[in-house]
Amino acid sequence: MNQPKIPVDLILSKLAEDAEKVHTRTHKAADILLEPLDTSIATTPYDVVYEEDRVKLKHYIPTTKPRLKTPLLVVYALINRETMLDLQPGRSVVQTFLNEGIDLYMIDWGYPTRKDKFLTIDDHVNGYMDNVVNYICKKHGTAKINLMGICMGGTFSVIYSALHSQKIKNLITTVTPTNFDTDKGLLHIWMKGIDADKITDTYGNIPADVMNLGFLLLNPARLMIDKYIGFFENMDDKAFIENFIRMEKWIFDSPDVPGETFRQFIKDCYQKNLLIQSKMEVGGNRVNLKKITMPILNYYGKYDHLVPPAACERLTKEVGSKDTEDICLDTGHIGIYVSSKCQKEFAPRIAQWLNQRDTLTRKPRKKKTTTRKKAIGKSLGKPRSSSRATK
Amino acid sequence: MMSKNSLKDKGKPENPMSDWMESAGMFWEGMFQTWRKAMDGVTVPNAPNTDKTSQTKTSLDAAIKAFSSFSSVVAEPDSMESLFKGAGAMPQILAKIAQAGLSGLFQFQQKWLERAGQLGKSTEAYKFEDLDENAFRAWSEIYETEFSRFFNIPQLGLMRFYQEKMNQAVDKFNIFQTAMSEFQRLINLPINRSISVLQEKLGEIAKDGALPEDPKTYYQMWVKILEGHYMTLFQSPEYVHTLGQTMDAMSEFSHAKNEVIQDMLSMFPIPTEKEIDELYKEIYLLKKRINVLEK
Repeated sequence: MNQPKIPVDLILSKLAEDAEKVHTRTHKAADILLEPLDTSIATTPYDVVYEEDRVKLKHYIPTTKPRLKTPLLVVYALINRETMLDLQPGRSVVQTFLNEGIDLYMIDWGYPTRKDKFLTIDDHVNGYMDNVVNYICKKHGTAKINLMGICMGGTFSVIYSALHSQKIKNLITTVTPTNFDTDKGLLHIWMKGIDADKITDTYGNIPADVMNLGFLLLNPARLMIDKYIGFFENMDDKAFIENFIRMEKWIFDSPDVPGETFRQFIKDCYQKNLLIQSKMEVGGNRVNLKKITMPILNYYGKYDHLVPPAACERLTKEVGSKDTEDICLDTGHIGIYVSSKCQKEFAPRIAQWLNQRDTLTRKPRKKKTTTRKKAIGKSLGKPRSSSRATK
Repeated sequence: MMSKNSLKDKGKPENPMSDWMESAGMFWEGMFQTWRKAMDGVTVPNAPNTDKTSQTKTSLDAAIKAFSSFSSVVAEPDSMESLFKGAGAMPQILAKIAQAGLSGLFQFQQKWLERAGQLGKSTEAYKFEDLDENAFRAWSEIYETEFSRFFNIPQLGLMRFYQEKMNQAVDKFNIFQTAMSEFQRLINLPINRSISVLQEKLGEIAKDGALPEDPKTYYQMWVKILEGHYMTLFQSPEYVHTLGQTMDAMSEFSHAKNEVIQDMLSMFPIPTEKEIDELYKEIYLLKKRINVLEK
């Protein structure tokens, strides 16, 4: 029997070479880490134009003359912060929207404290969101605005559009879960076995650290090991470090989630899947998706492990609208907003879509459903080491 | 001896106990009298409160008097006879008390032993041989069916509520620890297995003589295998069940711990979380009402 051929000499010489590289890299990294780094996030200027309790409404200062008549309100999730849309110059959805001439508003949900634990989905949707929409409508002298929701904020936007359809001109949902009865995403599997009542009754608000740990556990090999190996391998690259720290800042800047909202979201959505069946009740009213008759653009990521395509794509089939479009990008949950590739495919496309509908306000659109799925490549679609692709 | 002779002289029956009581009484009476006389002579200059001195003296006088009369009464033949009769019965009484007590204790101990003897019986369904797979689950079941009962024994007395809460906190902590151990075991499983798989894979590659030269390639192979193992694990019903159980155990322990802290906080002049929550709820409801009225 032949002895296995193991190139020990080559492996050892490669190790020695690597050790030298590590030494040089560490030396350089020490200099970089000790000098001032630009790791600031959310730097695009804005004014806080409305405040209610912990909630603030940001109005971004236009960089060009507005090209769209109708202002756009972006509603982020209650998990993590809206700063993700403006992580860094060149990779900022906010800046792209401004450059496209969109009059942009964004809700900052703030940091819930113990006094906010009683706030329900009704309080967020029919309370804060409705007050914000009314404020924008009044300010612009308009009856309707454009609404864009992100993840859980998208779910809120769907609920809002069903309950207040007269106030929404166009609806854009991005990585928005509406169909929760799927086993394609780990969260959908895990949440079915969670006792939401027990957790809510115990903690009041759901601690951000507990949720963050849960998100890290979605892919520990990449998010807890490989990601930091990647950092170590590139720590002599200043630009890499700055971007890495920006992402770290965003990931771990997590507000707690108001308890009663968490309770209802888990029980009604994840466990009973009421929303997509138009059976969910918010503020005593049934959320009937057939009442969503405005145009809908529905974005999601093919490799999204948090909100898989199966959780997103059913929405356009259940709503009353005839003008719907699904776009599935070759990316993950966060990649849609921050990957350099999606910067070209995402925000400019939304601006274009809105522009088409803003100018065609008075003309009834042809009633058809245009489902456009982008060609899917053979990319592995795993979370990137430097980004929180699965969250 | 003086005392003995004097008793004999009085024609009382000879009884060593009686003699001793009488002589002891006389001795201590003499001592107290001497001490009292000595104290009478002592004057404390500028004593602020002479009442206290006289009070002590009065108390001492009363004690001496009581001791003196007690010893003389006990020294009487009838009393001594009664005392000895009682003393003779004492071993019997003690034996009865001890028997009743020990029998109860024995029965209690028997129950405990029986309970302890059941340890392991309730986990027959699991394979004890395969400790790696079932040890945590077995321990969890043993704890919950056997040990946990001890923390749920009803408490008695003034502090029973506090003690009960403390027991609950300890019990829930143990359950949480057990659940957490099981959860950690599951989380570590892919790491162990991925290393074994990598070794097998490397063995196969080595046979073909195609082992990579770059050590980084080995790391990348391992991470990919590890990721695959985690994905398989996270979708398994076992993991979902354990995750749910761990979350429940953590919540229950947090709740029990908070109950104990609430009790402690209630001793201080600061509001407890429960009180603050009640206030928050009232504010929340009031704001809702105001919003409705404003609209």
